[in-house]
Amino acid sequence: MYKKLKQIGLLLLIMGINTAVIGQDYIPDGWYQFRGPNRDGISPEKITKTDWNGNDLELVWKKELGSGFSELVVSDGFIYTMISEKIDSVTGSEFIVALDEKTGNELWRTKVDSIYIDADGWGDGPRSTPIIDETNIYGLSAYGKLTALSRKDGKFLWQVDFIKFFGSTTPRWGYASSPVMVDNKIIMEVGGTENRTFMAFNKADGSILWNDGAGGASHDSPLKATINGQEQLIFVNGRTLYSYSPDGDTLWTFKMPFRSITAMPILIDDNKIFVSGVRTPGFFIAEINNNKATQLLTGNSMKNDFNSCVYHDGYLYGYHIAAVRCISVETGEVKWSKRGFGKGSLILVDGKLMVLSDKGKLAIVEANPEAYMEVASVQAITGKSWTAPSFKDGKVYVRNLTEMACYKIKK
Amino acid sequence: MKLTIKYLFLFTMIMGISSISYGQNLDEIIDKHLQAHGDLKKWEEVVNMKITGVFTAFSEEDDFLAIKTKCGKYYSELSLGHFDVKEAFNGETGWTIDPWMDISFPRELNKNERNVFLQKAEFFSPFYNYKEEGSKAEYIGETNVDGVDVYELKLTRSTGSVETWYLDKNTFLEFKCETMWVDFSYRAPAETYFDDFRDFNGLIIPCYVESMFNQRNRVLVIDEIEFNIDVDPAVFCMPKSDEIKKLNFLNGDWGVAVTAYYAPRDLWYPVDSSDSHIDYAATNMIQEKVSYNASFVQSKITDFLYDSEKTQYIVSTYSGFSSNLRIFTGSLNDSSFVLKSTTIGCDTTAPFIIRITYDNITHDGFNVEFARSYDKENSWNPQLRLNYFRKD
Repeated sequence: MYKKLKQIGLLLLIMGINTAVIGQDYIPDGWYQFRGPNRDGISPEKITKTDWNGNDLELVWKKELGSGFSELVVSDGFIYTMISEKIDSVTGSEFIVALDEKTGNELWRTKVDSIYIDADGWGDGPRSTPIIDETNIYGLSAYGKLTALSRKDGKFLWQVDFIKFFGSTTPRWGYASSPVMVDNKIIMEVGGTENRTFMAFNKADGSILWNDGAGGASHDSPLKATINGQEQLIFVNGRTLYSYSPDGDTLWTFKMPFRSITAMPILIDDNKIFVSGVRTPGFFIAEINNNKATQLLTGNSMKNDFNSCVYHDGYLYGYHIAAVRCISVETGEVKWSKRGFGKGSLILVDGKLMVLSDKGKLAIVEANPEAYMEVASVQAITGKSWTAPSFKDGKVYVRNLTEMACYKIKK
Repeated sequence: MKLTIKYLFLFTMIMGISSISYGQNLDEIIDKHLQAHGDLKKWEEVVNMKITGVFTAFSEEDDFLAIKTKCGKYYSELSLGHFDVKEAFNGETGWTIDPWMDISFPRELNKNERNVFLQKAEFFSPFYNYKEEGSKAEYIGETNVDGVDVYELKLTRSTGSVETWYLDKNTFLEFKCETMWVDFSYRAPAETYFDDFRDFNGLIIPCYVESMFNQRNRVLVIDEIEFNIDVDPAVFCMPKSDEIKKLNFLNGDWGVAVTAYYAPRDLWYPVDSSDSHIDYAATNMIQEKVSYNASFVQSKITDFLYDSEKTQYIVSTYSGFSSNLRIFTGSLNDSSFVLKSTTIGCDTTAPFIIRITYDNITHDGFNVEFARSYDKENSWNPQLRLNYFRKD
């Protein structure tokens, strides 16, 4: 009897420790969510190389991949992403897949929804990027099903259907918002009816923790930021910028000078938000003090379409429609502009931009306001490439609708 | 006071010199710009150009073909995403087949698009013969665009549209142009960049042309240009629908023998002979004007169209005898074209239905028979038969 009690005590202790670890907001390793560890397109890694000769990107592997726009989540030796496969011209499935980071070989796949076939022909399959925690992966299909799987083997844990459960309507080009995680919550823009535009789900079972807001599903992903010491989630929906506490309290809202953007909001310094779209004006910067947002600057020198800027040392680097640009955050002045990358994407690693053209050319460019300075480039993948790169352990991971590749920076 | 007059004089002189200087500068810049594009005598000899290359839209590459002529005609075939687009301009008007507008058939260009096609049709520079064409150029100044030192010129075309051109100070070739473009037929300000200038037998042409308007990005990379080729003038004409083309057998100058049916003896007897001319009155409308005697004078204007939504032919016949208009609908099969009268609006009281049957169709002729049904098409009473025989 005593032995049994001891065993139960041990079990409770282990469970307690386990709960404590999860409760401590475990931060996964690497590029574990949309736009990297801080959802800002920036890797915290260092690049030690200084002698660039233009030919410094070396292919590690390249693999075929099912259609989709999800970024490659790279963590703990694994790559997770979402793909689709067609059976015929009108049917098929969407999957969350796990791949071996060293080889790109598939380890498991789990079907999460029927395939989204894009009527405009931009590309089929999922748009959203999954997020991982210590044990699970959470991904949103293009038809609005949020699914939790075990990272280890892809075992199905739970699923919520935004359309069926919350009255949401599939936006044109499908659901694209990528999940964000705070403590035990997966927080999403759902776009449902009856105050269910923004919702927090319990990571453990998908149950609803809070919901609020009125508005349909957009294509924008929420930003997690700490502003004036306060952790908050910032959503763009319709013409409004919304800030919520992780517990679902509205902190502030701001009426934007435009509506319906796709690029993510960017946190500048500690309390400024940059938001950009393709209309006029092209961007605004708002300052937040005491939970009140005030517009600081607006301009047309940066117009992001579907891919977002990165912020570095007083300057924003991003795609002004189809030209890679550097603009001053203070004045909006264009410091340089470089065409030839189409409507591509970029991320930032240790002062270097990893710029992927919309046709799969990968270039490393100095994040320097003085001039466009390309130090290396390679034709990384072939075909329309709208998904931003990921970076982990000195390697750049890129994908498009048909293939993915890993390139390392030569020593 | 004397001092003020002196300053005023000096100021006027400076302004005057300045204007002259700018004037000279403008002409000189444009001269050098045109020279930079190659031998102008050779440009004079160019009658047309066939341009092939790769066009990028929505980040997807596909083949591109364009034909430009000296008289301002333009034709192109390209892809926008997964749709093929054809467009043409005859120097004044034009058409496009643009499935992105959910329009599968050729439609005429609007005024906004016309201005764009005037630009597209240009051989190499809007400053070539710009004065003769009624355009006005102004020198704005020197500036820097994306790290390139440029001359900024304002061009006001005879249409009133204003463009800003930035010419590279080193080469005098165009670097950038700001103009009004169209996005899904609506006006949109555009920036166009020119690069990769290549020599085609002494003619210097940009082979990389990138445009941005609204959120669009379009890139044309030219692979090859052929000069003074044989161009079928038909490519500039708005294409007719496949369905209306099936009625081409109607077109021509015809002799018409008119016979009437005499029911008591089951007999067809001649009543008149006449002439008819049938031809396209519009891109997708064929028209016949004919007049013959059948008891009374029957002067008719008949228009043949195809309704793509209802997938049937629609034919209207204006009768000069009764000043009435009758509407017929029908279909074409392998051997005959059969039309039946239909009511207009809520009028369902028509006492009879008229059937018109075109049969015995050959290159040299066809027959048209008119019949009436008074019992909801259970039986048909022949009325008149017209035998068409080709005269041309």
